[in-house]
Amino acid sequence: MLPDHLSTTYAALADPTRRAILARLAAGEATVNELAEPFPMSLPAVSKHLKVLERAGLITRGRRAQWRPCRIEAERLKDAAQWLDHYRRFWDDSFDRLDAYLGELQSGEQKDGDNS
Amino acid sequence: MAITADVAALFAERELVITRIFDAPRRLVFKMWTVPEHLVRWWGPRGFQTISGRMDVRPGGVWSRSMRAPDGSVIRKHGVYREIVMPERLVLTYITDDAAGNPGPETLVTVTLADLGGKTRLTLHQVGFESVLAREAHHAGWTSCLERFVEHLSANAA
Repeated sequence: MLPDHLSTTYAALADPTRRAILARLAAGEATVNELAEPFPMSLPAVSKHLKVLERAGLITRGRRAQWRPCRIEAERLKDAAQWLDHYRRFWDDSFDRLDAYLGELQSGEQKDGDNS
Repeated sequence: MAITADVAALFAERELVITRIFDAPRRLVFKMWTVPEHLVRWWGPRGFQTISGRMDVRPGGVWSRSMRAPDGSVIRKHGVYREIVMPERLVLTYITDDAAGNPGPETLVTVTLADLGGKTRLTLHQVGFESVLAREAHHAGWTSCLERFVEHLSANAA
């Protein structure tokens, strides 16, 4: 199954505002104020989203001064991108079973498969 | 500013394409996807057991399926049917929740069936959250930022 940190990552990515924040950060570091600008929401609300992203390891924040610029963490996103491999295995295994099942259906009572 | 090529890959159109030929007529293969009694017989890796499911096979209809993995954990998969063109095409959204119930990335699955005269070629196409991410960046008006970002990366990679 998925490692625990991936669950946190996916949960963090499930929100469109947070994905938009990540897309913005892909263009470079930004402060909370800059990140908040395109969204019709308060700074505290944006800060809350940033905390979720930070906990998920998707971003890090500078320690210096009040700016605390945010930046994207590529490594964790890369892990999340590996869902593709997960799905490929899922489908390959499923289609092996489908192949066998279709064979069964057609060699036995063909009508069953057709009428249900 | 720390940028790596790994992030660029995430903004590319990532997709999964799987093609298989089944020795069965197209109509029957289509039914494997839309009739619950058939679906439970093959859907999911060996050792996974379907414990509950719902299929409202019509555009806008919801589907969901909970499965028990061999390690005992329960995984829920769910989504919405977008398009149903019997017997050749099926489009659905597809999300896998983890054992803790957190939703995974939203993906879009398109199943296309080609009639090969008694046999059927199935093509499964799945696109996922990187594309969704890119789409939302577009909506937010950040497309040019992303384009510059990708250009910057290709310049660095060259």
